Amino acid sequence: MTPRELREFVVYGFETTHAALDAEDLLKAGGVSVVPIPAPRALGVSCGIAMRVSPEETAAAERILTEGRVDWASRAVMHDV
Amino acid sequence: MTEAARDIRATAARTVYLDHGATSWPKPQPVVQAVREAVEFYGGNPGRGAYELALATARLIHDARRTCAALLGVRDPSDLAFVSGATEALNIALKGLLAPGDRVVACSMEHNAVVRPLNVLAAQGVDVVWVDADSTGLMDADEVEAAVRRAPTRAVVCQHASNVTGTIQPVGDLADVAHASGAWMIVDGAQAAGHLDIDVAALGADVYAVSGHKGLLGPQGVGLLCLSEACEPRDLVQGGTGGGASELPTQPTARPDRYEAGTPNTPGIAGAGAAAAFVAEHGHAQHGLERELVARLHEGVLALPGFRVLGSPPREPRVPVLSVVHERVDADQLAFLLDKRYGIAARAGLHCAPAAHRTLGTLATGALRFGIGWGNTAEHVDLAVQALAEAAG
Repeated sequence: MTPRELREFVVYGFETTHAALDAEDLLKAGGVSVVPIPAPRALGVSCGIAMRVSPEETAAAERILTEGRVDWASRAVMHDV
Repeated sequence: MTEAARDIRATAARTVYLDHGATSWPKPQPVVQAVREAVEFYGGNPGRGAYELALATARLIHDARRTCAALLGVRDPSDLAFVSGATEALNIALKGLLAPGDRVVACSMEHNAVVRPLNVLAAQGVDVVWVDADSTGLMDADEVEAAVRRAPTRAVVCQHASNVTGTIQPVGDLADVAHASGAWMIVDGAQAAGHLDIDVAALGADVYAVSGHKGLLGPQGVGLLCLSEACEPRDLVQGGTGGGASELPTQPTARPDRYEAGTPNTPGIAGAGAAAAFVAEHGHAQHGLERELVARLHEGVLALPGFRVLGSPPREPRVPVLSVVHERVDADQLAFLLDKRYGIAARAGLHCAPAAHRTLGTLATGALRFGIGWGNTAEHVDLAVQALAEAAG
């Protein structure tokens, strides 16, 4: 049996659902592949929806969010299971 | 369809609805559809899960917030919280900003949604200073300024438009007065939103409270609390706000969650969003029609013997609310006759605004109020004039 490859993602948490969905809209409009996911406990205090982005796109994602004045409250590197 | 629904449908079909100051009816079809779809399909609890159904519902509310904010000139949609109504928004503003020892200047035309919370605060040691409007219901910014300058003042409170006379208050000037003394400007926009073009930021309001179900044409149960960046009322209700913030022992301070404890009213908010989109598209034409209809009603009533109209003369600026008094026939009798003989819905009494009626000298008699809005026509107005003539004849 081949061990399943663990993919790495960067996950962003937000203070409010509104901010999380602002982020989703901005990232999609900016061409970033973003997936809304249940906020992992590793993010600590954040709203229940987090945004998952591939490591290759984090620089673009963070630039877009900063320019769009949407602050992320937390950030964590996670591995898919 | 139930028997009760058949009955109310028949009643609705024969009603000439002229009580938009109380609540708007009928609702535009996009509003009805949005509410129905929210109940039928948007089943998830917004912000309480990241599965597709909950995400879709969260996005529905997110979009509604943006649409409402754009309509009202709220630059950052997160500064707009969905609450149960303008009454709750005003309670949050007044009780969340004022504390014993503070001083607040308020206007004599206010609705009970302002008067009663202020009376509670007065009993707790807030100094409430009332400034009288003139005999037409209009506030004088100079008189408010004089009251504000007499002592350090935390806030000025005024309606944007009167629910009795339709008077449009100079809230932009009052905001300048308030800010010049370091006070907040709190505006009750219940009768203005949807009937006037509103830019909350340009007005300088620190709090602007909106009713979702009046001129905005949404369903009952939703109000909008719009806050400036500088203004941070305490939250009056604490509870769940969803997700990972659960571990915070106290209410989060981030907007809009701070003021939205508990499961949101998804169908109501969906309706408010659809209503705001409808008003954004059709509002300008509707405002012109409303001005014309209220002037037609005003002139028609003044031509009848024994009637007078509260507030300013015809064709001066007002939201489409018109209150009339007859020298001999009581307002409640007129309302009853209009309903039973003509199917006209209009409201007699004090309109939850005894302070305004005291100012206008009609506390003892009350008045019969007509509220014009979406769906009304010249025929409705002409029928009301004819009905008044016959009822008082």
